Amino acid sequence: MNIRFWGVRGSIATPLTNAELAAKLETAVKLSIKAGLTDKKQVSGFIRSLPLHIRQTVGGDTACVEVKAADKLLILDAGTGLRRLGLDLVKRYRGNPIEAHILLTHTHWDHINGIPFFVPAFSSKNKLTFYSPYPGLKARLKNQQNPEYFPAPLSSAFKFVRLNDCDKFQIGDVKIETIPLNHPGGSYSYKITCGDKTMVYATDSEYKELSAGSLKPFTDFFHSADILIFDAQYTMLENVEKEDWGHSNVFIGIDMALEAGVKKLVFIHHEPAYNDKKLYNILKKAKEYVDINQSEGGLELFLAFEGLSMTL
Amino acid sequence: MKIEENILNDVSRVSLEGRFDADTCDTVEAFIRERIEKGRSQFVLNMENVPFISSAGLRVVIIIARELRNEYQGDLHISALQPTVNKVFEISGLNNVLRIFDDAEDATLGFSK
Ligand SMILES: [Zn+2]
Ligand SMILES: [Zn+2]
Repeated sequence: MNIRFWGVRGSIATPLTNAELAAKLETAVKLSIKAGLTDKKQVSGFIRSLPLHIRQTVGGDTACVEVKAADKLLILDAGTGLRRLGLDLVKRYRGNPIEAHILLTHTHWDHINGIPFFVPAFSSKNKLTFYSPYPGLKARLKNQQNPEYFPAPLSSAFKFVRLNDCDKFQIGDVKIETIPLNHPGGSYSYKITCGDKTMVYATDSEYKELSAGSLKPFTDFFHSADILIFDAQYTMLENVEKEDWGHSNVFIGIDMALEAGVKKLVFIHHEPAYNDKKLYNILKKAKEYVDINQSEGGLELFLAFEGLSMTL
Repeated sequence: MKIEENILNDVSRVSLEGRFDADTCDTVEAFIRERIEKGRSQFVLNMENVPFISSAGLRVVIIIARELRNEYQGDLHISALQPTVNKVFEISGLNNVLRIFDDAEDATLGFSK
């Protein structure tokens, strides 16, 4: 199974600002002087040695994760990251028909805004299917492209499959399960199993009841996942301040992942107000917390960024 | 989790013994809430004998402190954190918003200052 992150931001697309870019350049140049660079040949190695928050950005596109399992192409959410994934698919398939299964967690803007810009939908030879437990999903997506909001209607290339709240189904050899999460307007988690590998995508969820019993339905669902992609939009304090906004934090993610015996935990749905420095600082704190809480290091932590690829 | 309460100068000192996590957070929250309902608003949470706190424990602490401050003009003072628990308060940023004291006596006196 291959997983690639195309959009990792929550709420709204958040491009890097000029001031943030200038700050990164300034830091990098200062460090290059300190490192005593004298030759052009040293440059790319030096850049690779820089911390991630200086040499790149987590990215500004909203939720979209590509999963290749067996011979199937699955897409989790259709936020603005879907636009670039679509362009990449067109390049990769070189005119051959694209068959994609798009699993939607919910229809908040940051999870559907990429659909009008998904180039594969412009060709009727591509087989593109949306899956979600929402009744009237097609109407919702059509409404997004009403003339009041968008110049072109929803592509007729899309097919729709309605799922149940807690569903189990298969796409070829790939097994998929869903459960509802805690989010205003609802959101669903998807568990994808292929052979002996399992990944769970659980974004847009708030956990206010943290007793073992209340968390059990979720930790059971996450049980032994090789990868858990988890909504950690806020710091712990901001999470409490923004009660009922429907998001979570790294500490709850770590505790649930440890309870469930997850191997790799990936934080996603980054808060638009947090810059790269703050996000990597949150990851640093998360690593300190996990070091305190697990005796033998079984759980690995990651901060999702655009272009991050993981293979199971 | 063992919980004990001592009342001194109208301050309720709640001493915990054991891990403060997903298995015990409800017990601690219910214990304090019961006393808030009886009219108490100044609490010391003595954590001398708490070797471990998880996100579930942290959430109870921050929620109760916030509620006491916002709705009862009270507060929840924290006392006697063991080094690892203290570290978790720092990592999570809770040390920036809570009043944390070296021992329960100081935390109790903290209400008269
Ligand atoms: Zn979202
Ligand atoms: Zn949402």
